[in-house]
Amino acid sequence: MGVIVKKVELTWLDRTYVWPVLQGMSITFGHFIRNLFTSTAKRYTVQYPDMKREIPAGYRGLHELKRFEDGAIKCVACFMCQEACPARCISIEAEEFSDLNLSQGFQEKRPAKFSIDMLRCIYCGMCEEACPKDAIWLRKEYEVAAYDRLSMQFGKWNLMNTYAEADGKEQITQDPTPSVPRRTIAM
Amino acid sequence: MDKLASLLHTTPAIVWMVGKVVVVFLSVFLLASVWTWVERRGSAMIQDRIGPNRALLFGRWPILGLSQLLADGIKFFFKEDLVPEAANKGLFWLAPFLAFVPALMGFAVIPVGKSFVCDGVTYHLSVLDPGNGMGLLYPLAIGGLAVYGVLLAAWSSNNKWSILGGMRASATMVSYEIGISMAVVAVFMVSGGYDPAEVIKAQGHLPWTWYVARQPLGFLVFFTCMFAETNRLPFDFAEGESEIVAGFNTEYGSMKFSLLALAEYSHLMTASALIATLYFGGWQVPFMADPPVLLSVASFLAKMLFFAWVFVWIRWTLPRFRYDQLMHLGWKILLPLSMANLVFHAWRMSQGH
Ligand code: SF4
Ligand code: SF4
Repeated sequence: MGVIVKKVELTWLDRTYVWPVLQGMSITFGHFIRNLFTSTAKRYTVQYPDMKREIPAGYRGLHELKRFEDGAIKCVACFMCQEACPARCISIEAEEFSDLNLSQGFQEKRPAKFSIDMLRCIYCGMCEEACPKDAIWLRKEYEVAAYDRLSMQFGKWNLMNTYAEADGKEQITQDPTPSVPRRTIAM
Repeated sequence: MDKLASLLHTTPAIVWMVGKVVVVFLSVFLLASVWTWVERRGSAMIQDRIGPNRALLFGRWPILGLSQLLADGIKFFFKEDLVPEAANKGLFWLAPFLAFVPALMGFAVIPVGKSFVCDGVTYHLSVLDPGNGMGLLYPLAIGGLAVYGVLLAAWSSNNKWSILGGMRASATMVSYEIGISMAVVAVFMVSGGYDPAEVIKAQGHLPWTWYVARQPLGFLVFFTCMFAETNRLPFDFAEGESEIVAGFNTEYGSMKFSLLALAEYSHLMTASALIATLYFGGWQVPFMADPPVLLSVASFLAKMLFFAWVFVWIRWTLPRFRYDQLMHLGWKILLPLSMANLVFHAWRMSQGH
């Protein structure tokens, strides 16, 4: 569909070119004066390391693996996030554990290892979407940088503690319940 | 001064002369480098940015980003000085100086203040005393020379973009020089002489007798042409970053580049001084028939710096012209206008005004 663009009719004043130039100059001078009397902190520019933008809700930043009150990991090692991840950067190893007596046969599952390669992660939030237990969140931390590639491999304990400081929780390095040694199931 | 002269085994005249040369050229040089800062901060404010403010003097004082100047100067000195393989080495080295020196030299005849008498000797506040026979023809001629620096820089770097920039610069210069001359001739005609002292005296101290009020058309033409002459936006065809990389200074780096940049700003200073002298009464203080010397210097400086700021201001207001528009403006509009201006003032003079 063609659109007919109407040609702007120039008045004789515009044709002199001097008048439009003066108009333009008054606009730029207005900006100049306005900025001259605004302190740098109040201008549009966010001077990054000194000032930080407010992060909007729903921002997808660094991951956190959520925990229960007692420090137990919420994740049940269902591998949903690993499947959903388009960047294939999550790798999980599951293990069994139980608070209960072995003979009662009541077992639970949790990740023994849970690692995300932050160099490959694209912060798409698919893992968060996929998780049936709401165990993995992408939150507002975005200053993820390191001096070497190895420290960008976040393990289970790194991921559980990413926001511990910000939330005023304690750093945990150990599961509250020990894992169950592997059994061979006799049929 | 006599004492100083005898200490140095010279005459007071020579001490005064050397002092003038050093003070005038050094301050133009310094002003030019400070103006790079004014340009950066001013443009930032015009565009709602902040501009350079991170460099700290001795790691402590930001002084509004002025320390960026020092940092840049040091950086330029220590950068690797690359000369392209196929460049004409001699000319490549010579070009920045050829661009820089004429830009400064034009300042020599411009009186920065009122002449004064001390112990029966008259001291003139311009490097070349009035009555030297060259008058304002000299800065115009020297200004024409400045394009050689640009052209040589372009030619010697053996680069397509550079040569395009250089060619554009010379074509611009040719077409705009005529407009300038025509406008200036009208000024010379009305003031009855081409010595800056005479031009300034003829303008008097009342703002409405300055040539800007008496020859507004001439002023407009001269002012516009000065943009082309100094290669500033909206007529910076020698550089034209969006079209020909960086134009004539594509191949330049380190100190040679900064010399080219400084040449541009010195040229800007000279151009503003010329505008102030020709059309705004030079050192004349408004409504003051016989100002004190220092006040006259301050008045001249204020006028000059104002025009230097207008150069910056316009640069960040207007977009670059297209090349054919530039030629159209130069030949078909500014030249006839300046001719009309000349003829009009000639006619008025013949009527005995
Ligand atoms: S945010 Fe996306 S890329 Fe990153 S771990 Fe989760 S699913 Fe994978
Ligand atoms: S989807 Fe949730 S519960 Fe399942 S493995 Fe991933 S983080 Fe654990």
